[in-house]
Amino acid sequence: MRRILAIARLTIKAAVRYKLVWMLSALLVMAVGVMPMFLKAAGRPQDISQLLITYSLSAVVGLLGIATLWLACGTLARDIEDCQLQMVTVKPVARWEIWIGKWLGIMALNTFLLVISGAAIFLILQYRVSKLSAEDQRLLREEVLVARGSVKEPAMDVEPVVQQVFNERIKQQNVAAMDRTFVLQQVREQVKQEFQIVRPGTGRRWRIPLGLARFQSAGKPLFIRTKFTATEKSPSGTFVALWQAGVPDTPKLWRYQMSLAPDAYHQFEIPPDLFDDQGVLTVEFYNPNETSLLFQLEDGMEVLYPEAGFGLNFARGLGVILLWLGLLAFVGLAAASLLAFPVAAFFSVGLMVIVFSSGTMAQALQEGTVWEVNHETGVADEKAPVDYIILPVFRGALQLIGLVEEFSPIDSLSTGRSISWNQLGRAMLQVWVVLGGVFALFGVVTLTRREIALPPGSN
Amino acid sequence: MPLAAPPSPPSTSVSGDVVIAVRGLTKEFKDFWGRRKARAVDSVDFEVRRGEVFGLLGPNGSGKSTTVKMLLGLLYPTRGTIEVFGKSPRHVVTKSRIGYLPEESYLYKYLDSTETLDFFGSLFDLPGAEKKRRAEQLLEMVGLSAARTRLVGEFSKGMQRRIGLAQALINDPDLVLLDEPTAGLDPIGCREVKDLILALARRGKTVILSSHLLSDVEDVCDRVVIYYGGKIQAMGTLKELLAAPDEVRITAPVLSRETMGRVLEILRSEAGSDRVRIDTPTQNLESYFLGVVQRARQSETATSGATSGGQVAAYLRGGADTPASSDKILERLSLAEPAAPAQAEPVAPAVDDRRLDQLAQGEAKPEQSPQAKPVDLNEANRKLSGLLGSDERKE
Repeated sequence: MRRILAIARLTIKAAVRYKLVWMLSALLVMAVGVMPMFLKAAGRPQDISQLLITYSLSAVVGLLGIATLWLACGTLARDIEDCQLQMVTVKPVARWEIWIGKWLGIMALNTFLLVISGAAIFLILQYRVSKLSAEDQRLLREEVLVARGSVKEPAMDVEPVVQQVFNERIKQQNVAAMDRTFVLQQVREQVKQEFQIVRPGTGRRWRIPLGLARFQSAGKPLFIRTKFTATEKSPSGTFVALWQAGVPDTPKLWRYQMSLAPDAYHQFEIPPDLFDDQGVLTVEFYNPNETSLLFQLEDGMEVLYPEAGFGLNFARGLGVILLWLGLLAFVGLAAASLLAFPVAAFFSVGLMVIVFSSGTMAQALQEGTVWEVNHETGVADEKAPVDYIILPVFRGALQLIGLVEEFSPIDSLSTGRSISWNQLGRAMLQVWVVLGGVFALFGVVTLTRREIALPPGSN
Repeated sequence: MPLAAPPSPPSTSVSGDVVIAVRGLTKEFKDFWGRRKARAVDSVDFEVRRGEVFGLLGPNGSGKSTTVKMLLGLLYPTRGTIEVFGKSPRHVVTKSRIGYLPEESYLYKYLDSTETLDFFGSLFDLPGAEKKRRAEQLLEMVGLSAARTRLVGEFSKGMQRRIGLAQALINDPDLVLLDEPTAGLDPIGCREVKDLILALARRGKTVILSSHLLSDVEDVCDRVVIYYGGKIQAMGTLKELLAAPDEVRITAPVLSRETMGRVLEILRSEAGSDRVRIDTPTQNLESYFLGVVQRARQSETATSGATSGGQVAAYLRGGADTPASSDKILERLSLAEPAAPAQAEPVAPAVDDRRLDQLAQGEAKPEQSPQAKPVDLNEANRKLSGLLGSDERKE
């Protein structure tokens, strides 16, 4: 352990002596302390706070992420190129100790800078809140500066209905084999739409079991978070929404009418304790407009309840960000174990671009090809040979990316959602142990097998 | 002079512990596509035993450094085997017994001298106090005590060699590999490094010295291999390699013209006039330079660079106290053998009649290299043993 710590200290010393830490600190001060002063945002204090959290944390993640990749690639690749690693590897140090030591050094720096930046963001938020009226403060602490749990209606399995409708359709009509995929997709969309659509003059009911949240939220107001789309535009830009929450056919009911814009998330408070004896909250929506409205099955409706305070939630959010940075350090070191510094840096950045292109990969998977699709059917008529190689790669890549994308601390913190210890633990398992482990294993094995003193250009 | 004693295959029956055994060692460098670019080392065999100072000689690009790097596990052999202390060079624990000074300074430029030694000491799990003690002694030994807080990146090449040498010795290694250790050093530094090598060897340490500076190798090495084109061209002790059994050298004080004439007449009648040469012996430049510096030091002329090194670090001497521990090795040697300026009157040695008789009768065999040496190695050894205590080479 002493050797690993010696390498870690050396890594920190290099970052300090080459002034990377000072430069990063200055940039973080600008991003966190100075730039928010020029943020021009009008609206409710909740919206301004959300913007401040999103902007500040995104800037910190961006700056530290780039610095982490750069440092991880540089600290190992440059040591190899400048032959300094020769001096270390001839000492009784295993190469995995060098690798882990460098990773620990990078993470120590990241932890320090992230804690300082996080503390600054937190204090700035608290200072801004202290300048608001008591009512605004209350609203902020209920909607943004809070850790709220979320419950949704249990996921609906539409596939049995889809299959049933599809079977009836092909009995009635002669569908060519090559069109069956297209027909099945159409049927699936139709069935989903039936569950999502609320036609004029009709309503939609959600039954949301609160589970243990009923005890945590007892006596406290709950929040409905909803989003819908409209099939037609409204001249005013908004639609009338009639809401009811509580136990049907009992006096334990809350009703409210409001005017809401489509394609945006809306959040409103409902009184406490409206769930039934089973802890199920029933929410109903009535559509008095002349236009059909659609509530997506995935994110059309959810109930938020207060779970814990903002401070600890913020700390856990920073914890998830630290996990991301740790993964970037794994990636950079793995690349530097094999490649020269510029190539390793380019590779790492390229990998990030691929991660951000996950939408394109998902689309290719949906279309069934990486080449042209039939514009009428939206899917490939026939797969190209290359699809048999690339699509499985895309599928695997998306699964790996999903391990990281599942956690979005900035979004959670800015919307006052809870990041539980359980989520943090799961993030550590998925981001560090599984994904980071893959990169670390590759990096350590590569570095161990590598001839450190090989002249440039040799294999 | 016959150069090549044919390289003999290593034999494990040779007395002494085998520290390094190299058999059929070959290293080929390949390009990205796996095509062979160069064969840097080609079927090399040798053994190095405990306590030996073993020289790797050869011109640039002959394969010396590649061999050293394979001995250290920095490069992997294409063919052949290497054993260091009976293990693979990549065996991590074995590395705690090895010290290495590379051909160039590969140290971290953002660390100062103390931090450099502290970092490398940490890699050997040395306790804090011991690490600090050794670092102090090493900085004193290599003459960098006054530069302990200066960054290595600011050092001159010579100073970088000095701190490099210090880090190579922080673990009191049993095997020291020195790649061009005197490159960039001033003559005083060169002399100190050579003295240090001899001191290490006296303690039973094994030293591998890779150099193309023949004088370095000649001054300190017990055995050498000479590389050319990646192959061993010659291997053996200096005595074996340098002896010229068909020639003798006679050194005498200045003789009268008549005496000289008679001697020459005798010699020419025996050997033929074209085979007898007469010249005036001179000391070499190193000895002269050291004498000048010694006198300058005695007159307390200041310098802002590295000072000449102090005595060998105590822990490297095996804990033996020296009779006069405050004296520096160089000073003691220089004082014991003051280097006279070229114009100075030589001290007249006594004429060895018996030896002359033997030579005249044709029975003499050369006992040492026919080349005049600035410092007699046996003499240096004897003096160093006085300095270093009673540690004997264990064969």
